[in-house]
Amino acid sequence: MRIVIAGAGEVGSHLAKLLSFENQDIVLVDKDASKLANIDANYNLMTMTGRPTSMQSLRDAGAENCDLFIAVTPYEATNIISCSIAKRLGAEKTVARIDNYEFMNKENRSYFESIGVDSLIYPEYLAAQEIITALKRPWVRHWFELHDGEIILVGVKMRENATLIGMQLRDLAAMQPSFHISAIKRRHQTIIPRGDDYIKDNDILYFTTTRDHVDDLLEICGKINYDVRNVLIMGGSRIAIRTVALAGDDFEFKIIDDDIDVCRSLAEQCPDSEVIHGDARDIEVLREEGIGDVDAFIALTDSSETNILACLMAKEFGVVKTIAEVENLQFISEAEGLNIGTTINKKLLASSTIFQLLLDADSSTSKCHALLNAEVAEIEVRPHSKITRGAVKDLSLSRDMTIAGLIRNGKGMLVTGNTVIEPGDHVVVFCLSGALHKVEKLFN
Amino acid sequence: MFKLRSQINFLMLTRVIGLLLMIEAAFMLIPFVTCLYYGEADYKAFGITMAATVAIGALMAFAIRPSRTDMGKREGFLLTALTWVVFTLFGMVPFMIGETRLSVSDAFFETMSGFTTTGATIMTSIDHLSHGILLWRCLMQWIGGMGIILFTLAVIPMLNHSGGMQMFNAEVTGITHDKLRPRISQTAKVLWIVYVALTVMLGVLLWLGPMDFFDGVCHAFSTMSTGGFSTRDASVGAWDSVYVKVVVTLFMFLGGVNFALLFKAATGHVGELWKSEVFRTYLIVIGAVLVLFIVAIVANNQAHSWENVTIDPLFQIVSTITSTGLTVGNFEKWGSFVVALMFMLMFFGASAGSTSGGAKIDRMLFLLKNVRNEIRRTVHPNTILSVRVNGKVLSSDLVNKVIAFLCLYVMLIAVGGIVLSATGIPIVDAFFSSFSCIGNTGLGAGVTGYGGSYDIISDFGKWILSFLMLIGRLELFTVIILFTRGFWRK
Repeated sequence: MRIVIAGAGEVGSHLAKLLSFENQDIVLVDKDASKLANIDANYNLMTMTGRPTSMQSLRDAGAENCDLFIAVTPYEATNIISCSIAKRLGAEKTVARIDNYEFMNKENRSYFESIGVDSLIYPEYLAAQEIITALKRPWVRHWFELHDGEIILVGVKMRENATLIGMQLRDLAAMQPSFHISAIKRRHQTIIPRGDDYIKDNDILYFTTTRDHVDDLLEICGKINYDVRNVLIMGGSRIAIRTVALAGDDFEFKIIDDDIDVCRSLAEQCPDSEVIHGDARDIEVLREEGIGDVDAFIALTDSSETNILACLMAKEFGVVKTIAEVENLQFISEAEGLNIGTTINKKLLASSTIFQLLLDADSSTSKCHALLNAEVAEIEVRPHSKITRGAVKDLSLSRDMTIAGLIRNGKGMLVTGNTVIEPGDHVVVFCLSGALHKVEKLFN
Repeated sequence: MFKLRSQINFLMLTRVIGLLLMIEAAFMLIPFVTCLYYGEADYKAFGITMAATVAIGALMAFAIRPSRTDMGKREGFLLTALTWVVFTLFGMVPFMIGETRLSVSDAFFETMSGFTTTGATIMTSIDHLSHGILLWRCLMQWIGGMGIILFTLAVIPMLNHSGGMQMFNAEVTGITHDKLRPRISQTAKVLWIVYVALTVMLGVLLWLGPMDFFDGVCHAFSTMSTGGFSTRDASVGAWDSVYVKVVVTLFMFLGGVNFALLFKAATGHVGELWKSEVFRTYLIVIGAVLVLFIVAIVANNQAHSWENVTIDPLFQIVSTITSTGLTVGNFEKWGSFVVALMFMLMFFGASAGSTSGGAKIDRMLFLLKNVRNEIRRTVHPNTILSVRVNGKVLSSDLVNKVIAFLCLYVMLIAVGGIVLSATGIPIVDAFFSSFSCIGNTGLGAGVTGYGGSYDIISDFGKWILSFLMLIGRLELFTVIILFTRGFWRK
């Protein structure tokens, strides 16, 4: 697939690297040559210096016959114009990163389609959604619903009190549990487990299960569910504003920011929440605002380090659920190791949307979710695709993917070695980074 | 099991080299078949070498299962440098066990000279060599011309993932590397297609002329790669044909142009050629030196016919600047001024991204522009001046890199020359050989009137020169970095 990416910022370069790893043909365009130099020398992709809104540079970059055009510069107007031009030049599909909630409204979609923008990425909105999910279920690390919640993927961190620790997966499977362990994240590594793998302390397990059996997980993982009510947010970023808007009346928010101007505009935009001017790194300020009574602490400043450290501090005060925005990918594993409940990363959220589009070329109902070293995708099975040719255990699937579950006739079910996948099923696939193109092949 | 200090992925390196050896063996099939066709005894030498290469290559490639397949920058450099040495070690075997019976030093020199497209030879006479050996010499140049790694990138998809990018950077000449296509394997394919197309064209043109099929193919290989091995003692002069000289000159010239640029020109963007400042400089240098050559020829009373003042000097200039190293018969008589000019041409070399050697015109252009800026700055210290090539401003990092490269280049030539003179070679010849080998030109030591070919140099000198050729072909840093402590440290 030929993909042109305009904008070599954090999201753009991340996508470029990731997609080049997925064996796609990538051209990365930016007007700043210095941003491109390093990527050009070290990654298997082509870069080009040029303005994303210039017809000539887009033509030079090959937007005329590309399958996907992604505009992820920091400015939404540039992105939209860039997509519009690319579409007119002949790009198959275009995606623009936006920064405006209004644009996401369903009634505005046709307008964007008419000017040549097929899809929109709004990482802040996705982040807000993720935060709300995390607040509603404080015991999980990741919660991903597929097909209206028929199949649910849950990431849970194992502690000493989990009954699963020390078990071998083969033995576990013999007990015919109501869940499927799709992946194990251990330190910086994500493993697709086999029968002879053991579950260890501090692993993050990714369970696939159906809606009715989610509560079974609580017990075996040694977790208790509790309700979150009071939430303290540090940093009045756009994600914070979106989160507050999206949450409605479910939670009580307090937002702390050290910039008085930001605070003023926050007070205007989030009338139902309390806005405090002060430095959330200051213990006095936190005590004053009653950190001890808070159920969840969310750190959303621009600095990943500050966010992680602030969450650790909140933990010290007894806050049970902490959420940190961690933009540095390497820090995510570290943050998870430090028991920070949930990490939010705009790059991963943006890649989820893009991967969905990559798969979308084949089926219209796919859904994708990018984790640190892996992706989860829901794909509709087409007639005659490779995956339908026999029972799962006979398909000799690649070792870096697993079929986690499937939805047949609108009902979610788990997959065992003997399951035969039929056309029309929606299959949930868990695969390691760089293997998505293999998955795509299976379903074609 | 000993514990390695560094974390270089040696298992993966071995595996890739194994695969590459099998490719080399496949190339050896060509001289092997040639020997069988002509009924020459050397088929045994090629057969044995091929079998050994395949066996060892397969052993390395399939018996080893690396636990991790990732390759980083260091592996890229090491693999590229090692590949060239290993290719030479296997490629030299036919010379040793064949009818030529060369010693290890001689065979290594000859083979390294082949792969690096230097074209320096230790053979005093090649007329009696078997067709297989003659073809193998030219074929080696052809493989090395575009690059062993580049060929592999084009045909083995495996390297697309791990380390391919680093190897591409380590092998392809030039300061920055133009990519023509998003993926490195596609770029490699495009470059090889241009290369193969040009070679075929040249082969056919030569065959249409006075050469027979075999000579045409051999000369196409060695000319397109700007290597300069021939099939006759008298080199291209043996045909004594203006047609051959003109055709060879033209293709040597093309071999000195950036292949990415050639591709663009061939796909309908001829204007790109003229837009390229490097290409214009290349033409200007050739033109200017041609005038000087003609003056020198006339002054030395060597202008006996119109050919002597037109195609002969042009042939010699293009052959030298593109580092081909073919010679026309009588150019020793043109005087020492010409030899001095040739020093300069060898130093310059042609465009980066071509098959030629030398320091590359691109770098000279950078350097001269930078020098001009510095001179202006002595009078106007506050002016902001930038080095601009093709309308683009180059970062000072890049200019620094170029200056560092050229300093190192000159230093290596000097060290090479000094070491050679220690082996008893007259000073001018020592420096000329050092120049000629690091620039991959391979003009014979005979140019300066000392001996007929490189056979006169001591074994020690041959190893030094072989090493210089390798350094020159991989543009210094790839090889030199391996001799720094920091490279091997964890």
